[in-house]
Amino acid sequence: MPPTKQANRQAITLKGSTALVTEFFKYAVNTILFQREVYPSDDFHMVKKYGQVVLVTQDLALENYLEKILKQVQKWILTGSVTQLVLVILAKDTRTTLERWVFDVKLVEPPKDSSESIGKPEAEIQSEIRAILKQIVSMVTFLPVMTEEKVFNILAYTSDSADVPAGEWVDTDPLAIEASKSQQVKMRSFSTDVHRIEAMVAYRYEE
Amino acid sequence: MSTVKTPSRRRVRSEAKTPLTPSLLSAFNTVSIESPIKRATSTSIPLSDAFQRQASGGVIRKGGVESRIDVVTLDYVPPPKSAEVKRSRSTPAINRSERDRFISSRDHTLEVSATLDQMSLNAPSGSPTHTARLAAAAGVPLNRRILGYHLQPPSASSDTTLALQREFARPLYANRPGAIATSTGSTTNKTRKISTQPERVLDAPGMVDDFYLNLLSWSSLNCVAVALESSTYIWKADTGAVVQMGEAPAGTYVSSVNFSNDGAFLGIGLGTGDVELWDVERGTKLRTMGGHQAQVAVLSWWQHLLSSGCGDGSVWHHDVRVPRHKVMELLGHSGEVCGLEWRKDGELIASGGNDNVVNIWDGRVGDTGPPVAGDGVATGNAKWTKRNHTAAVKALAWSPWQPNLLASGGGTNDAAINVWNSTTGARLHTHTTPSQITSLHFSPHRKELLSTHGYPTNAIGVWSYPGLERVAEIRDAHDSRVLFSAVSPGGDMVVTGAGDESLKFWRIWDVPAGDSKKGKMSSGRGDGVTRSGVLSIR
Repeated sequence: MPPTKQANRQAITLKGSTALVTEFFKYAVNTILFQREVYPSDDFHMVKKYGQVVLVTQDLALENYLEKILKQVQKWILTGSVTQLVLVILAKDTRTTLERWVFDVKLVEPPKDSSESIGKPEAEIQSEIRAILKQIVSMVTFLPVMTEEKVFNILAYTSDSADVPAGEWVDTDPLAIEASKSQQVKMRSFSTDVHRIEAMVAYRYEE
Repeated sequence: MSTVKTPSRRRVRSEAKTPLTPSLLSAFNTVSIESPIKRATSTSIPLSDAFQRQASGGVIRKGGVESRIDVVTLDYVPPPKSAEVKRSRSTPAINRSERDRFISSRDHTLEVSATLDQMSLNAPSGSPTHTARLAAAAGVPLNRRILGYHLQPPSASSDTTLALQREFARPLYANRPGAIATSTGSTTNKTRKISTQPERVLDAPGMVDDFYLNLLSWSSLNCVAVALESSTYIWKADTGAVVQMGEAPAGTYVSSVNFSNDGAFLGIGLGTGDVELWDVERGTKLRTMGGHQAQVAVLSWWQHLLSSGCGDGSVWHHDVRVPRHKVMELLGHSGEVCGLEWRKDGELIASGGNDNVVNIWDGRVGDTGPPVAGDGVATGNAKWTKRNHTAAVKALAWSPWQPNLLASGGGTNDAAINVWNSTTGARLHTHTTPSQITSLHFSPHRKELLSTHGYPTNAIGVWSYPGLERVAEIRDAHDSRVLFSAVSPGGDMVVTGAGDESLKFWRIWDVPAGDSKKGKMSSGRGDGVTRSGVLSIR
């Protein structure tokens, strides 16, 4: 029954896309926290995901923390009110920003001839996600070594009209790196039928 | 509204003149430039929007009042050049509540706060208010908020020292490698039938669960000696009778037992360092040989020589016939000696210690090593010293059918069986097992090797020689690690002892019927007095 199959594939909805994007953030954040050694490596265990092995934390406190954040992020993505998610890695003692992993969330305008367009196959999306995660891993080779103790912070850039749960999310500083001391590398992107995620990393680099 | 406009214009001007302020740069850095259409829409309205939001958020509370003050100050001071300079140096993140009508003092505060602001290291963390104003001034859209979760992320649960400790403890928590997929947890070769159930189980209450001790021995007269804390018992396999061989002196314990080759005498090593000699038949103590300063963890006989391995790393030969019993001292271990085995012909003696070393010594008594000042006792040099093991070596076995073969097995971190040629010193075979090796025996009449293991498999393994392929393995032979084992004089039974306070008898090798005579001749420890036919466990 080819027609139904096609219909199924087309039916990647806003909700489905949101779930996909949120899930990607979860694994991306875990991968960064592991690769940049923000948390000790033995807190992580291997999980099979996107057809490859991904390291995910098993520290319960951290798991819950990320879950709470991603739950809200998912709501924002669903309403289209988040434009950017930033994972900031700071030095624990001096609170200087060392790295900013930036993920731009963009809404993709539906194509004009939407009746004809066929949804992007899930396998293709997964392979794009795989490529980003692999790129994060490979970034370690050239990112400066961070010897000090690190902490991280997740920032969400939202629109003014976004629903913000009172008391849980607060306006903060962008925790930027001074332009003269930072370098940026653009990474791969992936897109579903609804969203497009572009990744970028900026890191402190002093001669 | 004109009153509001003036200060805001002034602010814009002053900010535009300080392009090197880190906060401004950071604002440029973070605020990505979006489509020009958006920028156009956000020129005027979002600015007031942003302020409104800040006002509601409580960041700026006194916009109106403040602006009036600003007007006043400007009226008082028609911008002279010096004031302009000062203002340009200042960043607008001034503590505005400190402003005063008094110009002089205000200028002073301004200056101070400005320097403070520049001195502060954490430049990019200007207040959100500042960033907002800055963005508005630069014409960059700010129709969005930067939000952070109100809680800090949890700190890392463990530090590096803990990780290191986990690394050390990993072998203990290892999964049982290569788990055997049979219901009994045992495997046997198709061509061999080995019972995976013990033939007999004896209770051994109080058996000490200590890897370094050697508390089990089976004599050529078919008696099993086992030490339970301070008492030693003899279980006669022929009759099933149990005899107590006496107690260790108060305050100490038995750390090793071993039968002489003819089975008539029993050596008992104590925690104090004394070595006792007992007559098995009469059940009396013949003599006590003192001298060691630490626990005697292992004993081995060759005819009249009783060799003892001590906690201080020394091995002594005691001649049990003469008053001055200590006839030779072998110094070659820096850790406790826990494995000691004479070769059947008395040519060589092998020792293993907690320093991970295996030494092979010449068995002849005579002075070959450097003289030790004082007691004039002969010393010896190791013929071979092997440092391949990475854990304590307790398990040692000489091959009965090929005299120059020595097998040694390492402890938890090593878990490898090495087979050595004592003539050439070569390492002939190495086989890594899943867990700690506590004892090794060559089969008297088969080309096979038996090993007992500790955590996590608690197994008895039978390996072919020279291939070292697994012939059989009995997992969980005991409830805790199998620590001690001894082969029967007939060469068909093996007794194992463990920390679960039981002795188990296993029929590992069948003596071929036609071969019984030959078996009698070549049995392991017996030197020809074995009565293999008599062995029966009732």
